[in-house]
Amino acid sequence: MPDARQDFAFAFLSLLFEGAPFILLGTLISGLLDVYLPSGAMDRLLPKNRIGAVLVAGLLGAIFPVCECAVVPVIRRLVKKGLPVSCALTYMLAAPILNPITALSTWKAFEGQDAGLMTASRLLLGFFVAVGVGLIVSRMPLAAVLKRKLIDDLDHSHEPTCCGSSCGSDCGDHSSDTKLLSAFRSALRDFVDVGAYFAIGVTLTALFNTGIAPGAVWLDDVARHPVGAPMALMALAYILSLCSTSDAFIAATLHSFSNGAKLAFLVFGPMLDVKLTFLYQTVLRRRFIVLLALGLFVSIGGLSILWQLWFSAHP
Amino acid sequence: MSPKLSRILLSLAVLSWSVTLLYFHTSGRITRYLAPDFRLICLIGGLGLAVLGIFNLVMAGDQDGHACEDGHDHGSSDLPTTVVLLLMLVPLGLSLAWSKDAYSSGALARKGLYETPSRSQITTTAALPITREDLEKSHRKTADGSLEFDLIELFLATGDRDQQRLLDGMKVATLGRIVDERDHNAAGTRKRLYRLFMTCCAADSRAIPIILEFGKTPPPLPDNGWVRVSGTLGFPIVGGVMQPVLTVDQASAVTAPAEESFQRR
Repeated sequence: MPDARQDFAFAFLSLLFEGAPFILLGTLISGLLDVYLPSGAMDRLLPKNRIGAVLVAGLLGAIFPVCECAVVPVIRRLVKKGLPVSCALTYMLAAPILNPITALSTWKAFEGQDAGLMTASRLLLGFFVAVGVGLIVSRMPLAAVLKRKLIDDLDHSHEPTCCGSSCGSDCGDHSSDTKLLSAFRSALRDFVDVGAYFAIGVTLTALFNTGIAPGAVWLDDVARHPVGAPMALMALAYILSLCSTSDAFIAATLHSFSNGAKLAFLVFGPMLDVKLTFLYQTVLRRRFIVLLALGLFVSIGGLSILWQLWFSAHP
Repeated sequence: MSPKLSRILLSLAVLSWSVTLLYFHTSGRITRYLAPDFRLICLIGGLGLAVLGIFNLVMAGDQDGHACEDGHDHGSSDLPTTVVLLLMLVPLGLSLAWSKDAYSSGALARKGLYETPSRSQITTTAALPITREDLEKSHRKTADGSLEFDLIELFLATGDRDQQRLLDGMKVATLGRIVDERDHNAAGTRKRLYRLFMTCCAADSRAIPIILEFGKTPPPLPDNGWVRVSGTLGFPIVGGVMQPVLTVDQASAVTAPAEESFQRR
């Protein structure tokens, strides 16, 4: 038992020291966007063409970087302001992956382990899966996707006065001092929310990493299975609920797994995990969330397996 | 809980993370947890968290521009404050209390301590020169005539036939941590010498081991302590696999080096 405590503590602290600065960076940027970016700005950037709009929405994460915890309140606000749901969902799924902080942290975490390939593959796979979901959603009725209350809000064109956690700078004539205070307060809120989930993720990872967790042996056993490994890591990503800006540091430590399985972990986690399942329920119907989960699991798993087969055959 | 009290407590939680990062950096303990690339990032992160925590603590009572007519607080967390505090502080507090800045032998076994070099997943750009003259130019010679090597060079030589031929039978000296040899040690004359190889942080580190053969009962050396050993290197088949074995002439306890782990270059 003393050995287990010592091992857990060593792994936990090392992961915390590595990931916390990246979470801070993400939440500071998110806080500034929350206060200084007018929520209509994204809407104006999108083409009128449906497919073009979904494609551009998939790329917006590179310009408006938010992690998955921050993106849900943002898209909730944007949908209320009339952003097409297909574009909002595409942005919601792609932004946590296609943001520069995630790209940088993935690159740093995988240095010496095909960093360029892993970073590029993560961004591309994330983009294509998000756009695919967006295109499918663009053909679905709103009632099948959005919560009833949100549709009612849209029907009544209700614009709350300076309310909602994603409140942009369209709230009135705030002074620069109060805007700065709002930005720091928003950053604090984002940091503690993400930090709390990150602490859960790091705790579980440290337990698996040092062999303390009961599932660690099973995870090792499945690590070399071409289909089981990506499935297992997607399940792990779901449970760990890591922030996309720091999850690469966890993935890089999973030495017994192939890069294809790690890619599945890196793409699936930012799109669906335990905390997102709860957050999505503030916007989406439960039935749609279940369908989305199944679709993401099958498509990301399948593409990761194909990716691994391709790079195994063409090293 | 009032929004002001909630903000004060959450700011203090952020400050506790900040103090932890800054303490480990300034005390030098960070070298055992993070690779050099990440140490500066850790320092900047600690300072950034300090700014975030102090600003929010000082301004906890001020009204921001997002105050709503219904009076609810935009600065509050999605999770209840007490849950956030528990999640952010309990694992951190326990880890600070429990950490010895090192892994136990059980965790080391999981991290490759008893793996053979040929089966290890370690890859590095470290490579030895391939002539004896090059070796003598690039490695310091000790008083007893041994060439001083990093442990990782001896470990990796097992996977390279040219380097094996060059090093086989050579008098070498190296530094590492000594632990009991678990396998193929019925006579009790063997120990294992290892160091860690870190890519980003201690969680991803792997053990780099070689076998020490004393030919008799090994001298009393502190378990998992740092030792300098010198002797003759060979690559016999042990347990059906070729392994680097150092037949020890001298072994003595030493203090730990400034950088205990090998780093990715």
